[in-house]
Amino acid sequence: MKRLLPVVLLLLLMLASMVVLRLSPWRYATQDRVSILASSTLTHPAGTDELGRDRLVRAAAALLIGIGGASAAATITILLAAAAGLLAAFSPSWVAAVLLFLSDGFLSLPWLFLLMIVRSMLPLTASPLTTAVITFLVLALLGWPAFARTIFHGARGIRSSEWMIHGRASGLTARQLILVHVFPNLGSLLLPQFFVCIPAFLMAEANLGALGLGVGEPIPSWGAMLLELDNTALLISTRWVFLPIALLVLVLLLLEFLTSEANAHV
Amino acid sequence: MSGHVLQVQLTAAYGKRAVLRDLAFDLSAGEALGVVGSSGAGKTTLVMALLGLLAFHGGRSTGKVLIQGKNLLRMTEREARRIRGRLIGLIPQSPMTALNPAITLEAHFQAAWRAHESTGNQALRLRLRQSLEEVQLPADDDAFLLRKPGQISVGQAQRVLIALALLHHPSILIADEPTSALDPVTQSEIVKLLQRLTRRHGVAMLYISHDLISVLELCDRLAVLHDGAIAECIPVRHLEQATHPATRTLFGSLPVPISVLLAHFAARMRPQSSSDNFPPRPHATLTRNGAAQTDHSWPEDEGIALSANGAGRYNLRDK
Ligand SMILES: Nc1ncnc2c1ncn2[C@@H]1O[C@H](COP(=O)(O)OP(=O)(O)OP(=O)(O)O)[C@@H](O)[C@H]1O
Ligand SMILES: [Mg+2]
Repeated sequence: MKRLLPVVLLLLLMLASMVVLRLSPWRYATQDRVSILASSTLTHPAGTDELGRDRLVRAAAALLIGIGGASAAATITILLAAAAGLLAAFSPSWVAAVLLFLSDGFLSLPWLFLLMIVRSMLPLTASPLTTAVITFLVLALLGWPAFARTIFHGARGIRSSEWMIHGRASGLTARQLILVHVFPNLGSLLLPQFFVCIPAFLMAEANLGALGLGVGEPIPSWGAMLLELDNTALLISTRWVFLPIALLVLVLLLLEFLTSEANAHV
Repeated sequence: MSGHVLQVQLTAAYGKRAVLRDLAFDLSAGEALGVVGSSGAGKTTLVMALLGLLAFHGGRSTGKVLIQGKNLLRMTEREARRIRGRLIGLIPQSPMTALNPAITLEAHFQAAWRAHESTGNQALRLRLRQSLEEVQLPADDDAFLLRKPGQISVGQAQRVLIALALLHHPSILIADEPTSALDPVTQSEIVKLLQRLTRRHGVAMLYISHDLISVLELCDRLAVLHDGAIAECIPVRHLEQATHPATRTLFGSLPVPISVLLAHFAARMRPQSSSDNFPPRPHATLTRNGAAQTDHSWPEDEGIALSANGAGRYNLRDK
């Protein structure tokens, strides 16, 4: 039960966000020009930003986009890392050496710099949606080497485990070894990595957004909304500017609990 | 020589460190050969090398392992696979780590069955019942098979592994310290089970153990593994004549003189072996050696369940 609590709370947060998006009369990009930089009012429970956009709606959308994008990116990253790690673990040692060399090389690239280049190559007219997709895709493509080595070592452990050797001694076919012995153990190998990956990507998106390199306006993202915290006048005028960062911290904490729980059960 | 089901000559090393140096022995049909040696002498290494699996254990081996006149170490992986588990059964040393923690016992049996049999679930069910009874595991309790290795006792795991090893009626059984993880009662039950297998069904056995007494009880010959080779290999009933220092040291560790033990076992265990020649023993069915036989079943009538000997069934789940 304790294990499920963070999951349940996360799902509740996401559900609440959907309800907000559904029930609120405002869209994330609609500007309410009569109430700019508003504090909490009846029409805008969490106030508005400097363009008069409803903060609650934007925070809700940012939460969904952040978690959704990070999860999707984490899935891709872990699949890539699993492919590389498993291939290396079950291949002759020279293949493993080459793969790990490539992965480590990849890891040592100045990826923030690369990201800037990629983003600056995008035409200014790129739709906000494209920038969102590309941001998360780039994270996914850059993120895998960090997980490949862990997965490689885990898979090595499976390969040289005594039950795997016993399987061979029982004459199991290569196919059987993979399906019966390797696959059932992948869950406990990959899942913790997946749960470590999501918060890392959430943070990465927030940081990139704060640098102006993330998801483009007017799509709400944690990064873009954190930019607001730059505005001292705003900080003084309303506490509600802290809503997005409070949500981000909450989500990160829940994911952290989830990870440690998942690890404790492996 | 055609009487041998297994002829072995092996050199094995981990990295630069040689563990087995041109170790050689052979095994006749129905014969039980005991291999003793101190911890780290290379017994498990020998087992892995025998099966052509030392590479997966981090070592390298050269030499030959002749089974049915063919060298296992020179075969394609495909050919070797068809021998492992079908002609050679392995009871591994550590029961708890030899089973995959992520899958059920049933999945283990299914995989082992399908590796060599194309017949369906019905045949497996039948055989599974038999082998579970053979090793005194609950054969009627479907819930037992649905457990995972973490949910059974070490003794039960050992029995599961023995049942797995016997699944295809192998003609050679390799037992790597099969009783080391067990309590004395279970130990002697397992020894009796193995005894029945070799005596009645003519299964040739390589019995590896620290425990000299169980070797005396079970085996026809004793090989002492020392310094990477077989220091001495002599028939058990002539053990008193052993000369090698390593063998004498081993005897020195016994609670009673070897002659007393031998007399004891001769009187108790082998009333039938008046003829001084082994391996032919009255009960040994020697038909299952060599030739590419497709029917590997053991005679039906010979129940080899331990309970048959009056030792009494005890409830495994009490443990
Ligand atoms: N994977 C390995 N890599 C390197 N050295 C190993 C490896 N496995 C075993 N050894 C070494 O090889 C020697 C023989 O080991 P082995 O496991 O065959 O001994 P054993 O006779 O089975 O011992 P025990 O009775 O304790 O099971 C030991 O010195 C051991 O340290
Ligand atoms: Mg050993």
